[in-house]
Amino acid sequence: MCAAISAQEKLQAAMQHKIVPNQEYLLQGSVLDSSKDVLIHRLRGLADNVDEQVETFQDRERVLTLGPVSGQTLTLYVRQAMDVRPGMDQSDTPWTMRYIGQPELGDKSRPTVLRNSIDVGCTPNVLEFLSEMGFKQDYEFMCKGLMFRKGRMKILVYKVYKNKTADNWEPLSMSHVVELSVLAPQGHDAVAEDVRNFAEQLKPLVQLEKTDYRRL
Amino acid sequence: MIIMGFSTLQTFPLIEGLTGPQTLDVLHKRITALGARVSGQFVVDCETYFSAPSLLPGNSQRVLNVLHNTEEPASVFAILEGGAKQPVLVADTLLDALLPKMAVLYTSNKKQTRIESKGNRYEMGDFVVKLGSVTMSGSFKGILVEVCYLACVVPALCWEMVWEFMQSFLGSTVPSTLPPYIQSRQNATFSPTDTIQMYLEKFNEFRKQTVAR
Amino acid sequence: MSMQREEKALDAALDAFSQRLNDLKQSIGQTLQKLEAGHEHMSWPSLLDSFALLSGQLNNLLRVLKNEKTPLLRNRVTLPLLLSPERDEQLVRLTEGRVPAFAHDLVPHYLRTKHDPMVEERLQMVESKAASISADAAQKQVTAMNKVVNNLLDTIQQSREDWESESARAQLSQTSSVADTQQLIAAIGTVPQVNKAPSSIKTNIKANIQTHPYK
Repeated sequence: MCAAISAQEKLQAAMQHKIVPNQEYLLQGSVLDSSKDVLIHRLRGLADNVDEQVETFQDRERVLTLGPVSGQTLTLYVRQAMDVRPGMDQSDTPWTMRYIGQPELGDKSRPTVLRNSIDVGCTPNVLEFLSEMGFKQDYEFMCKGLMFRKGRMKILVYKVYKNKTADNWEPLSMSHVVELSVLAPQGHDAVAEDVRNFAEQLKPLVQLEKTDYRRL
Repeated sequence: MIIMGFSTLQTFPLIEGLTGPQTLDVLHKRITALGARVSGQFVVDCETYFSAPSLLPGNSQRVLNVLHNTEEPASVFAILEGGAKQPVLVADTLLDALLPKMAVLYTSNKKQTRIESKGNRYEMGDFVVKLGSVTMSGSFKGILVEVCYLACVVPALCWEMVWEFMQSFLGSTVPSTLPPYIQSRQNATFSPTDTIQMYLEKFNEFRKQTVAR
Repeated sequence: MSMQREEKALDAALDAFSQRLNDLKQSIGQTLQKLEAGHEHMSWPSLLDSFALLSGQLNNLLRVLKNEKTPLLRNRVTLPLLLSPERDEQLVRLTEGRVPAFAHDLVPHYLRTKHDPMVEERLQMVESKAASISADAAQKQVTAMNKVVNNLLDTIQQSREDWESESARAQLSQTSSVADTQQLIAAIGTVPQVNKAPSSIKTNIKANIQTHPYK
């Protein structure tokens, strides 16, 4: 018989001991549509899922903001999986809401961008719930692409679509986004080095770099 | 382990001349005499957040209740009050890490609003009984008894039997009707969020009592 | 006890090392075969793939070497216990026909840890010459040299960065585009506040150019 500890206390303890993976080490870049297949080919060779079928995904992502109150806002990314996997119903597909903190670029010696990232799985009524809370939708987009894994690293290659009218999605630019990331608990800076090394191996096909958001 | 079933929740008044712990002890003796055995402890807790005054148009306010139940250890329940609807969001436990990020927009005074029901969990055949001691910001408020019947998920079909079982150890304190929240849903399939809704209903009653004093 | 543990760690490190080496050897073999047999209809991406694989495996190898758990291999001595001019079939098999016998003329080459005697002699000369300078004077020379070298290094690194960013830009036109990257990342953007101050961007760039130390 064990004493009942509330889930919240458990999470707080986990956060204090820095075992909640809420830090994202990230490099971003893009590849022209015409060179995408070469990249995919290369990734198939380098990533872990060599023998298996590469995992595909299609997500619809809505960006919602709450506030401002005293200059503070909160932006959440609500992601809905659009691809129905075998044996699943559209209503069973997972929804997540994601918080992304201010990215830290650091100096040149820091191999990747570091940002706080909290991914929360939730029920499909999340949009209605957030709207009742006062969240307003800023914009939305669709992502469609492939996911590779290399150890703890996640490599995404995807196309971004924007919609002018409700269901008319058009591809944005002639390129695919390429993202290299690792989610780790606080203070696991060594993984950043792995991310950089992997990015080096994809040069000169793609330039994966620390995105300076102030420059966009 | 997925526990399906139907739960009902009621307050149990203190027995004349006895304290909270003494009353709980009496209940413990009654139910173990019936053959139930303790199968662990449980907690249902609720933290409440209030929307900042200027956040919503027309100075309307929303109250965000975040509840945890040891029976559903991987989930966090969020119930929003104050609007036309009262939506419930079920999320994984990382929601707790997200809430501090909206501290200015939805504020909470943890010391004053945190309320929980905590105590022994008993098993007896198809019944699970939870005797909870309710505390708000650390002080004792009363007793909540949850009775869960695992073999049925439609309240209307098993209420009478559950009622009889409850009377065997709670006596005349058992109300003859279903809890208000369940009344309108008695023919629907019962789910863990319904249990949480009932807890919130009762927690709110306890809070109102405090304000009245 | 600690000896045993060390032995075990060494065995494990050597196993890991030889496994990585074997992987690398195999890949080199495959690449060579690819080059020799199929160079007429070989595509550039396929060659790049081969090189990427080699580079990945070299990385793995270095990681084993640098691993904290790997004992310092340079502290170890390899001692030939038995030399024989006879042909050793097992050795032939192990070395894939490269070494037929563990003999006197081959072993010094394979297990050599010292330089050639001629090289050693010349090194001795240089060292004795270095020893003739006073410690003080030597220190001064070292400092001056370090300064020059550091300056040179900075200049080279700067030019290398400039050159790489230029050549990278030239390369980008083929497989990726900076403009597209920026457009896409802005579209999936993470910090909406940044869109509010477009005018500050120009001044930022200008300020950077002015403070650039090598222009």
